[in-house]
Amino acid sequence: MASRTPTIGIIANPASARDIRRVVANANNLQTADRVNIVLRVLTALASQGVEHVLMMPDKSGVRALLARALKREHNLQHRFPRVEFLDLEPTSTVEDTFQAARMMQAAHVSAIVVLGGDGTHRAVVRECSDIPIAGLSTGTNNAFPEMREPTITALAVALYANGRIAPAEALVPNKLLEVAITGHAGRGQKQPAVRRDVALVDAVISTERFTGARALWRPESLAAVYLTFADPQAIGLSAIGGLLQPLGRRDPGGLALQLSEDPQQRRLMVNAPIAPGLVRAVGIAHMEPMVAGRPFVVTQEAGVVALDGERELAFDGADRVTITLREDAFPTVDVARCMQVAARDGLFRLPSRSH
Amino acid sequence: MPSANPFPLERGQLLQAYRTMRTIREFEERLHVDFGRGDIPGFVHLYAGEEAAATGIMMHLGDGDRIASTHRGHGHCIAKGVDVVEMMKEIYGRKGGACNGKGGSMHIADLSKGMMGANGILGAGAPLVCGAAVAAKFRKKGEVAISFVGDGASNQGMFLESLNLAAVWNLPAIFVVENNGYAESTSRDYGVAVDSYVDRAAGFGLPGVTVDGTDFFAVYEAAGEIIKRAREGGGPALLECKMIRFYGHFEGDAQTYRGPGELDDIRANQDCLKKFAAAVTGAGVIAQTELNAVDKEAQSLIERAVKEAKAAPLPTAADLTTDVYVSY
Repeated sequence: MASRTPTIGIIANPASARDIRRVVANANNLQTADRVNIVLRVLTALASQGVEHVLMMPDKSGVRALLARALKREHNLQHRFPRVEFLDLEPTSTVEDTFQAARMMQAAHVSAIVVLGGDGTHRAVVRECSDIPIAGLSTGTNNAFPEMREPTITALAVALYANGRIAPAEALVPNKLLEVAITGHAGRGQKQPAVRRDVALVDAVISTERFTGARALWRPESLAAVYLTFADPQAIGLSAIGGLLQPLGRRDPGGLALQLSEDPQQRRLMVNAPIAPGLVRAVGIAHMEPMVAGRPFVVTQEAGVVALDGERELAFDGADRVTITLREDAFPTVDVARCMQVAARDGLFRLPSRSH
Repeated sequence: MPSANPFPLERGQLLQAYRTMRTIREFEERLHVDFGRGDIPGFVHLYAGEEAAATGIMMHLGDGDRIASTHRGHGHCIAKGVDVVEMMKEIYGRKGGACNGKGGSMHIADLSKGMMGANGILGAGAPLVCGAAVAAKFRKKGEVAISFVGDGASNQGMFLESLNLAAVWNLPAIFVVENNGYAESTSRDYGVAVDSYVDRAAGFGLPGVTVDGTDFFAVYEAAGEIIKRAREGGGPALLECKMIRFYGHFEGDAQTYRGPGELDDIRANQDCLKKFAAAVTGAGVIAQTELNAVDKEAQSLIERAVKEAKAAPLPTAADLTTDVYVSY
């Protein structure tokens, strides 16, 4: 059971929903002021459930500065908030900030981490800290992993778990992820070949592009293979390719691997899929098969980039061996819907109808 | 092992990108030395460290596309194709300079290259670009106009008015915010109410994109999409390049506002030239020896530019009244 005086972590990525997809596909822009409003609503809900301490990732892109102003204002209005403490890290305005914040929150034994971002931000948190439950708030460009929900409700569920009013067995749910390993040749003087490792929560995609550039993926002609932890037909993004052909739930066992091809000789079927917000494109499928947990899939493309949850991350070439392995029960998330059902069932929000 | 070029540019273009960035760096490093010696009149604001932004954007432009630069304009000028020797003469205040030595660092212009001018007035390039974009719209040749502003200048009213005008008239105007973190010596955390320039664009209904301005390829790719969209009638957009400057706001700035170790860190870890070189040599597309040759070429060019600038005559009293008005 969690501590009775829990600390909650909040990682609000100030850079999500800022990439080129605003130009090529009219993707949304969540303004910094709205990100701060979301954090304020989370803080309000946490305070209502007795959470008194919150650790936050600092940034140099406005969230911290704007939140500090807002908290002063709210203090003047005598509104109740937990004590907000910023982690002692020097922001670099890169994903490193999220990595480091997740590690520091893990070391500080936070009960849960509330994450504001898209699939990429959630990936960054889980990569560094897979044993602390996270609760996702969808503020990115492509949001297949975090569910769309009012942050107040998410924060209430997090608080119910964190302060022990709902047991982990009911509050938490396990998730799948994809492990990516790129093994190069051993360098001069090295006995072991260098291995680069990373993870994806929804999709690991092989792109024939070989530079990370503006990072986002939006050109269907560059897609060569897609590996999925789940495939929801109503999801947005590259997982929709699988979702519209062979739906697979995020709680179902196994994953899905698809080889793509634009070549009419190789492709066996075509699907029109919403591969990014505002982008519905025809994609050719050459081969599709289930992924069994623990069995590595060897990437057959000779060179390209592995995109993790929609962003080009890891370039590889013929000297590298790339494998992708599905892992089940890899990290916990707070099951907000179930928490609120349990709260209703057990009357956790009920108040005495009259004073005695 | 495949030796195919993984980048969106041919080998020759990659070498040209490196040449442009290295020329800017050499130009600025030399000015740092010469200004410190007292050789140069007026003020200079150096672009060293920011080369990837100017180069990544300008590689998409032709002479018919116009840009309006800032007080920190040398990099924009070089990337837009302004003659480096004429620039050096201008900064030295000599005849034969880009503006015959009467403008200096903050007023270098070359309309034949589509360079409408550096500008000592913060944010003043934005309304100029609206004008150039109106002209481009009427000419119907698919030209665009690009305004550069710093993070501090983006607080200026005329910048915000320009976003509005460009949106209302759907102009082929692009606003590049070169966000190096400091408005002179004021940290943007302190001086900017809403610290995302993309948010400002959204306030006027424009799409905005943020990229790592120290990554040439990130800038090149994002700028390419934005410029293509504007050429095809898609209208204005904003590109925020997050970047760093190696030197102070101006030469002579003691930079007491910097954090401890900040300058060492950015030189070591955020140098756009080092990042570019590592990418192209790591991919086996360009050899280090080829880059070294470009380095030498750039050094020779700057050496020649300084020599010619020092040898050029100063403007005379009779030059004072020329170039005041231009007949169109």
